[in-house]
Amino acid sequence: MKTFIILLQKEFRESWRSFKFLWMPLLFILLGITDPLTNYYMEDILNAVGNMPDGFSLSLPDFVPIDILMASTGQFQSIGLIVFVITIAGMINRERQNGTATLIYVRPISFFALFMSKWVVGSLLGILSVSLGYAGSMYYTAILYGSVDTMSFIQMVMSYCVWIVFATAVALMFSAIFKTAFATTFTIIVIPFGVMIDSLIGQYWHFSPWKLANYSVQLLSDTHNEYYIKTLLLTIILLILAIIIGILFTRKNAGTTKI
Amino acid sequence: MIRIEHLTKVFGGEKVVDDLSFVLEAGTSTALIGPNGAGKTTTLSMLTGLLKPTNGSIRMNDTQDIRKEIGFLPQYPNFYPWLTALEFTEMTGKLNGVPSRDAKKQAERVLDFVGLTNDRSKKTSTFSGGMKQRLGIAQAIVHKPKLLILDEPVSALDPVGRREVINLLKQLQQHSTILYSTHILNDAEEMTDQLLFLKKGQLVEQGSLKDIRTKFDSFRYKIQFTSKEEASLFATQSQLPTTVEESYAFIEIKDGFPTMQELMSQLIVLPFSILKVERVTMTLEEIFMKVVGQ
Ligand SMILES: Nc1ncnc2c1ncn2[C@@H]1O[C@H](COP(=O)(O)OP(=O)(O)O)[C@@H](O)[C@H]1O
Ligand SMILES: [Mg+2]
Repeated sequence: MKTFIILLQKEFRESWRSFKFLWMPLLFILLGITDPLTNYYMEDILNAVGNMPDGFSLSLPDFVPIDILMASTGQFQSIGLIVFVITIAGMINRERQNGTATLIYVRPISFFALFMSKWVVGSLLGILSVSLGYAGSMYYTAILYGSVDTMSFIQMVMSYCVWIVFATAVALMFSAIFKTAFATTFTIIVIPFGVMIDSLIGQYWHFSPWKLANYSVQLLSDTHNEYYIKTLLLTIILLILAIIIGILFTRKNAGTTKI
Repeated sequence: MIRIEHLTKVFGGEKVVDDLSFVLEAGTSTALIGPNGAGKTTTLSMLTGLLKPTNGSIRMNDTQDIRKEIGFLPQYPNFYPWLTALEFTEMTGKLNGVPSRDAKKQAERVLDFVGLTNDRSKKTSTFSGGMKQRLGIAQAIVHKPKLLILDEPVSALDPVGRREVINLLKQLQQHSTILYSTHILNDAEEMTDQLLFLKKGQLVEQGSLKDIRTKFDSFRYKIQFTSKEEASLFATQSQLPTTVEESYAFIEIKDGFPTMQELMSQLIVLPFSILKVERVTMTLEEIFMKVVGQ
């Protein structure tokens, strides 16, 4: 427990000093406010740009708040998620490859504490970024399109955070198993590409972690989704599995640190 | 006391460390000597717990987790560039169980000892090679380990840095057990109780400096000429087996032969001048070549 606290402190310090706790939330805020603003002002933007042929009239669909939050979620799920998981996928292997891990691994630490310290800090970084991103999106959505039920909104954000925490665990697991190049590749395939694949052919199954983000946004609507709880539970089970595998490989690959 | 028995490491079918057995007595220092690729780093890595031995055991008097009792300085220590020397040393101390309230004081003390007092609040990314080596020593001793393991502690340093680090190690030697590796023999000469000669993963010779000297030492004559040409010329004319190095000629002494008088009688007729003649013992460097060389 004591080594966990020390390692946690170290991870926070690193993330703080490398400004991750600044730029990652900023990225998500930017992604979050893009959709409510651009969609609302699209007509004005097009008019301002001009050059519209005479008689051309653009009929933009009328959006409701949930559409905008869905669009913001789409931004998080692509650009945001890619940047986020790449950052996480280097947390363990990079230290082995540059040899900084060596002076930690020769000390009486547990690899459980080591992995968990990184998972906790990565997860908090993700949760903070996503929460602020959604807050930004909600702020402009509320001003421009109208509000949603506060409790449902909080539920949606928390539910999406479970997905981010899962993504953190998977990226860290790959970081423990492979060197950076492979870990990054596998993580991108499994997380952001996984989301894409699920949205393309996902109609054949009803619950998978990759659906959790969409199901979370659906919490805002009145329709009850019978698969939501199962998806949530499955995500949590896979998350725990990823953590266990990650810890085992952190220990197994300790000897690959540059000495 | 640390007892190593039948320690073996196989990488891809090749025995990189091959059945090593030796003992490290408390309070002594031991040098693991061998050319590059002999298996020194691999051996030390197994002792630190970083690598799992393929075979064999490492035992320290009733200690379960040997990592608690050791301090390790890798050959090229790497530090987190975003931490200061003091922060890093304090953190590593705490990870080794130094109580939080003492950790900072203890870190300051060891940084003082290695001469980094004025640089302790600088980020390690600004450190030179010599400073990193000294910080490496600080983090290895911050928790007062029973065994200090150092991988080629001075190999990468310039002569001044080397002298500084050797002086630090000499001080540490007075109250700790030290195991260090080297391929430069002069280091071993100065500060070692036990020498372990490693060649292609095997322990080919072990003992105190005195034992090794007695076993391998031989005497020879060293004759200094004014030029290499003259030394070579002498070597071709001489009836004694002679080797030449720069302006020196060397003649082995076997069973007391040749005597100084016999040598003199050959030298006295030479048509060129001789600067110096002396009877010398082998340097440790030469013994090293004899033990682990071809
Ligand atoms: N992880 C590894 N995988 C395969 N071979 C290795 C590995 N580490 C070291 N070796 C090989 O083991 C031998 C001994 O290496 P090392 O212990 O670093 O020697 P030294 O420190 O004495 O120079 C070398 O031939 C090296 O190539
Ligand atoms: Mg080496």
